[in-house]
Parts: sequence; C-alpha cells; structure tokens
Amino acid sequence: MTKARFPVSKSNLPVWKRILSRQRTHRDLPSLEIEHEGGKMAKLKLALYWAASCGGCDVAVLDVNEKILDIANIADIVFWPIAMDFKYHDVEAMKDDSIDVCLFNGAVRNSEQEKIANLLRKKSKVMVAFGSCACFGGIPALGNFWDRTTIFERAYIEAPSNDNQARTFPQTEIKLDGVELELPQFYDTVSTLAQVVPVEYFVPGCPPPVDLILKVVDALATSQLPPIGSVIASEKSLCDECDRVKEDKKITKIYRPHEIIPDPKRCLLEQGIICLGPATRGGCGARCIKVNMPCRGCFGPPAGVVDQGAKMLSALASIYDVDDEREIARMVEEVVDPAGTFYRFGMSSSLLKRRRMQT
Amino acid sequence: MKKISIDPITRLEGHGKIEILLDEEGDVANAYLQIPELRGFERFAEGRPVEEMPRIVTRICGV
Repeated sequence: MTKARFPVSKSNLPVWKRILSRQRTHRDLPSLEIEHEGGKMAKLKLALYWAASCGGCDVAVLDVNEKILDIANIADIVFWPIAMDFKYHDVEAMKDDSIDVCLFNGAVRNSEQEKIANLLRKKSKVMVAFGSCACFGGIPALGNFWDRTTIFERAYIEAPSNDNQARTFPQTEIKLDGVELELPQFYDTVSTLAQVVPVEYFVPGCPPPVDLILKVVDALATSQLPPIGSVIASEKSLCDECDRVKEDKKITKIYRPHEIIPDPKRCLLEQGIICLGPATRGGCGARCIKVNMPCRGCFGPPAGVVDQGAKMLSALASIYDVDDEREIARMVEEVVDPAGTFYRFGMSSSLLKRRRMQT
Repeated sequence: MKKISIDPITRLEGHGKIEILLDEEGDVANAYLQIPELRGFERFAEGRPVEEMPRIVTRICGV
C-alpha cells in the first residue's frame, strides 16, 4: 500500500479576508492524504451540508449530470441531508478529521447551523464554503438590514396569511407532556461560514456553476489543491470575461427595466443599467449578462477588493457624467435600492456586516 | 416519557426534525414536527424594487 501525500499550502488568507471574516487562527491542518491500494486510489470521504440556504447549491452538484459518476468514483458521500439518510448523530460518531472534504453551503442564521458548522469543521480535513451564502452571506444576509425582533414580527404576526392574536413566536425551549423540546436560536445577524469556523476554500456563485464544481472535483481527484484561502473562480472582475462592447462609460441617467430596452451587445452599465460587473469576481461565464440581465454580484468582490458595495459605488460614481449638483442628486435618487443592490449577496462579508442594531 | 428524535429529516427540500413521544407501553403518545429554519424573506424582500423580486425570491427554494 502506498500513500500519496497532498500537501496543503499554509499560505494565509489575505489580510482583508481575515479582518472581515474575523477569521480565527487557522488550526494546523493535516495534509489531505488519500491512500492507494494496489494502484487504486481509495475513495475520499465527502460530506455536503446546507445551512441557511435554498438547496440550489445541492442541486448544482447534481447539475454535473453524468459527471456525478466521476464524483462517485473518487468519493463516498458520508453526509448529505438532501439526498442521503445520515443523521447528525452519525456525524457526531465519526472520528475527528475522518471526513476528507466538506462542501458547506448556506449562511449561518441560527444556533443549529453554527453547531453543525463547528461539528463538520471538527470532523473534516478540508472545509469548503460552497456558494454565495456560505462565502458572503448571500440572499439570506439581506436579513442583516433587520434583526430577530423585526423579522419575527413580520413572519409570525404581520404577514397577511397569519392569524396569531396570541402573538406566539418560536421558543428555543418548551416543555410539553413533561418533555423538553428545543428549537435553534435565531440570531439577529447572518454570518458567513468563515466568520464561524476556519475555511480552506471558497467556491462562490448562486449557485456555483458546473465548470467550477468540476474544477473542485478535479482538484480533489488529482490532488492539485490550491493554497489555503483560495477562491475557486477567476482572479479578475466579471467585466473581464463579459464580451459586450465597452466604449465610453459615461452616463447621465440610471434606467430601471421598464424604462429602457437594452442593446444586447453593449455594456449594460454604459446604457445606464446598474450592473455589478466591475465590483464582482469573474468565473461565472457571465451567465446573467448573456441573457440580458445585469450582474447582481453573486461571485463576491474580485481579488484585492475589500468591500463589494463600496467598490460598486465607486465604479458608478466615476461614470456619472453630470456636474450640476441637482443633477447629481437626481442620479443618486435614481438608484432605487442602493444597499440591497450593491450588497445583494455580500452583506455578511461587507465592512458594515449589518445595519446598526436599534437598541 | 421516551423520546425518539429524527434529526434531521433527510431526502427532502428544507430543514426539519421530528420528535416522537412514547408512552409506558411504547406506543406513540404524541409527535412534533419542528421546522428549525427561518430566513425572513417576508421581511427582507420589503422595500426592494419589484423588478428585483424574481431574482431574490427564487432563493426561497432552489430545488
């Protein structure tokens, strides 16, 4: 029996990412070791989990179609709630570091998700933040503009389908028939995975596209693991891979969809349509742009950019071609929902992280 | 009272757990289905432009 050793580089995360994600000290990880038996590689142990997510990332794994057989050839899945019947106690019973790779999708919205993130971290050699929610907070992190009280109020009282005159809210503990029942604690603030546990790799995208998923699988199968902290996508911005004609970025009006029919060949931003391309990492193949939809930034900020929203604000401000103060004010007003647009997927990992708590 | 926990419920879209309570004879006395998840779309979709809704609420369920 021979052992192939796959050294994992110890290079650190960029400073900004450590600060933003309040990255805890990275524990000294063992290199990913795959045992070879009789020239045949023993299988990797793979876990997949969803926290605050929609399941789209899990389905994206299935979107590799027949290549799922390649995954099955190199890996045994030991935990995957959407597809297989393993329970939390099965994971708890595993030895530490016995899972080779955990693809963790979803943000951390409540105490159960935090607990499972910690559990899977303990059991996994390599932890991958899979998808925009795990990487940046994603759509659930729009909840960071509110807090537990205001979200509960809306979901359990105000929503038109409710009839909740007793004002019943979920309780973390309740005793019924002498038996304790528990629900997770809903946090005020949505966190990224890396804000909760150390993470080796980041696979952005809502959901991650098939070619990037296969890149991850290839890296695992061939042992070509990138340095710790790597984002498995392009190092450049989305504009770099967008094949629309870019000429002169000067705009005098911001258009909403009902106000313009966009030219399908020309840069959307140059046409006055807010597109987060300049502030977004490439690697998605410009899949939204190709169907005439402006980018909303699901790949997070490009390499070296600290705050995606701030970067987009800066990019947008630099192409405003108006001098008059009132005209500038008008164009500022034309951005209907700046916070929700510029931080659509990145609220948790942004510098602000959340709206200030009203206490 | 004895309690059987099914946690998590698997092979379905979403998060859930089931607590089954058994009486002295081992028969089911009561059972609770719990949904330990809320993201709050009801709240955070508020105030966003209507044209953005198709790309926000599709993330309620991606399955």
